[in-house]
Amino acid sequence: MGNFVLGKYLPYDSIIHKMDPRAKILAMLLVLISIFIPAGYLGYAILAVVIVTTVLTAKLSLKFVWKSMKPMLFMLCFLLVVNIFAVKTGDVLIAFGNFEIYSDAVFNTIYIAVRLMLMIMVTTCLTATTKPLDLTLGIEDLLKPFKKVGVPAHEIAMMISIALRFIPTLIEETERIMKAQASRGVDLQEGKLKEKIMAILSLIVPLFVSAFQRAEDLANAMEARGYAPGQRRTRYKQLRFHFRDYMLLVCSAGLVAAVAVLALVL
Amino acid sequence: MSIEFNKVSYIYSEKTPFEYAALHDIDLLIKEKKMTAIIGATGSGKSTLVQHLNALLLPSGGKLKVLDFEIVAKEKATNLKALRSHVGLVFQFPEYQLFEETIMKDLCFGPKNFGASDEEAQKKAIHALKLVGLDESYLEKSPLDLSGGQKRRVAIAGILAMEPDILVLDEPTAGLDPQGAVQMMSLFKELNQKYAKTVLVVTHDMEHVLNYCDEVVVMKKGTIYAHTTVKEFFKDTSYLDELHILPPAIVRVRQMLNERGFHLPSDCYDMKQLCSAIAKEVKHHG
Repeated sequence: MGNFVLGKYLPYDSIIHKMDPRAKILAMLLVLISIFIPAGYLGYAILAVVIVTTVLTAKLSLKFVWKSMKPMLFMLCFLLVVNIFAVKTGDVLIAFGNFEIYSDAVFNTIYIAVRLMLMIMVTTCLTATTKPLDLTLGIEDLLKPFKKVGVPAHEIAMMISIALRFIPTLIEETERIMKAQASRGVDLQEGKLKEKIMAILSLIVPLFVSAFQRAEDLANAMEARGYAPGQRRTRYKQLRFHFRDYMLLVCSAGLVAAVAVLALVL
Repeated sequence: MSIEFNKVSYIYSEKTPFEYAALHDIDLLIKEKKMTAIIGATGSGKSTLVQHLNALLLPSGGKLKVLDFEIVAKEKATNLKALRSHVGLVFQFPEYQLFEETIMKDLCFGPKNFGASDEEAQKKAIHALKLVGLDESYLEKSPLDLSGGQKRRVAIAGILAMEPDILVLDEPTAGLDPQGAVQMMSLFKELNQKYAKTVLVVTHDMEHVLNYCDEVVVMKKGTIYAHTTVKEFFKDTSYLDELHILPPAIVRVRQMLNERGFHLPSDCYDMKQLCSAIAKEVKHHG
């Protein structure tokens, strides 16, 4: 569980780490849009080059990025199976008697896989270079314009930051409970179905009990210190745009435009 | 049939940016049927060390022998479940491991996992509950309805019900009231003496070390700094200062009196002995 890397912040020192979280979030959204523009092989090649360059500029190793994609592999395999059964267009690649696998099924899956991988890489670039708290500050600021139409920007940001804050705590807690139950003879790997269900139950019940306990304690602690959600509050950390942040936005907007033009031309 | 660490080291998150070596080449021999205290500052590796005893953590280097089981680093360990039935590990704040609807079911959980029949498990459960000082009226209650101290007892009973030969406790008295802590430590002493179990206790309380334990292992920065008998350990107070350990009250009294001109023997560790030694000396001068 300690090797779970998706969404983990890595404290390196790079230009991307120093950028304003708002700029990074907006840039990420722009790149995500460009990933969804169908611009053929060339478009994805360009995107891949740009994204890999960003990953390397952020001093992240490709191994780390690859690791954060691992949880997706299972989903992709599942998708491949579904596609094989559902998609019946294109050329027949392999035939087992009556059962035929079509080329479009495989291509569709590869297509989705490439998109997913690129998306994960982009989001990893954001989450690995931005402290969770800065990220929520950025989200709060970006949501501010929507306050007029009733979006509770501050509350959303507070909820996100609390959720993010407790992910490592809950992972630690899970590990602790797993170990405690393992000492009592629980074996999560082996055993019959009934034993496995018992094993999972012995993990989930204590986890929920402690999570609710924590939530209650936290709510009380916040109220005791006079927290009121609707209140106007000042902030210790002020976000400021620098030249590099504008450059990032211009570049990502440029990327979207380039891919869009490419898509139109094709 | 003892516990033997042979150059054991352990590294958390090996080969990642978060790599952290918690144990360095630990050599340690823990004798059977003794009660051993493990002390040391936070982060000195105590919890990491005890988690090796029932193979929850496997050594990154070196080898480890517990009872008849041998665990060698980088080799696939087998029979871990059998080892865990012999070594009962009670974690810090074990209350969170309670999950069943009734205390009876929760106490039966361990023994059943290790292959006991329903009947056997219930027998063991009732025995364990009595050991921790709760009566049978608790059996049908929900463990989540108990007070903090009672939950702790039930959680420990859950381990005792497995009837392990070696009992390992990570700060079992943390957060208990002084009276509850004393009862808890007396229970472990009883298990050690009456049921001949090997007991290891991680603790910060020097009074407990002095009053209940036979041997003491001092850890510092992931190494074994000292391993000696309790009596030997509290003899030399200058050594304790070096470790930033505040000696038990009785040792401090003796030390202060000696600084002010008394000549009290360094091996008296209980109130009665100390009092008669002081009286003798006062009479001698008076």
